[in-house]
Amino acid sequence: MTILILIALAAGILCGRFLFSAQAAALIGQASDWVLMLLMFSVGISVGTNKDLFKRLRRMDLRVWMVPAGVILGSMAGGALCSLFVSLGFWESVGVSAGMGWYSLCGVMLSDFYGADVGAAAFLSNLLREILSFLTIPLAVRWLNPYAAISLAGATSEDTTLPVLIRHTSAEMVVYSVVNGVLTSAAVPVLLRLIYDMGR
Amino acid sequence: MGILVGYRWFPEKLKRPNSVLQLLCIAALVFCMGAMLGRRENFFEELGRLGLDSLLLAVIPMACSALLVFAATKWWGKRNKKQADGEEKS
Repeated sequence: MTILILIALAAGILCGRFLFSAQAAALIGQASDWVLMLLMFSVGISVGTNKDLFKRLRRMDLRVWMVPAGVILGSMAGGALCSLFVSLGFWESVGVSAGMGWYSLCGVMLSDFYGADVGAAAFLSNLLREILSFLTIPLAVRWLNPYAAISLAGATSEDTTLPVLIRHTSAEMVVYSVVNGVLTSAAVPVLLRLIYDMGR
Repeated sequence: MGILVGYRWFPEKLKRPNSVLQLLCIAALVFCMGAMLGRRENFFEELGRLGLDSLLLAVIPMACSALLVFAATKWWGKRNKKQADGEEKS
């Protein structure tokens, strides 16, 4: 799977750079929305076929809140730590890391707040988080635990990275993944605005 | 809708093809992301200038999140085990 993802990424970059016209790129953008919908439908089927899951929903404990809280705090702490090593300022670094993988929104919002350079860094870094999640989730399941694997995916654990999480963890983890994705996604725009206001 | 279809009508024998479909969708999505990156006018320039910063801003927050969640869930597991042992003894 990892090799397939790396090949797809490299092929995409090369095609985008040397092959696709602006019109084709716009079509690709639209196509990716449809692919995401198909993926969500297919993931929905996987969730639905796990009849056990609905019983397990009633047995959820505090960990369902621990995961998103850990993702938000950990991401922002990581951003603060990064500010020691990168060319961005403290609040800009915290803002970029608070995107938690939602590269489109984070890139656009931070471009608006801080300018094109920070926007580009936000876009690249959050896209990298999503891509690296595909590669590191299996390792985190093996070396840490399934909750830590969900946390790597950040806000994407409810959509693009959910099938990878399903493949490498258990049916029970689907609920944790979706709840984490929904809560962290809802938090991203609020956090970005707050961080910007605090840094002004 | 997918959950409803899976719960009520989806045949067991199509589970494997459904999982292959997910894999293909992920590859297609990553391809689209790559194409979007490649289309950015100054992508390679940006990659050179912001690449290391962006990589650090992806990896360090991921590591911090994973370690924090790992520590919290491990603590929770231990606490529950202790409580269960205590109840068993009493």
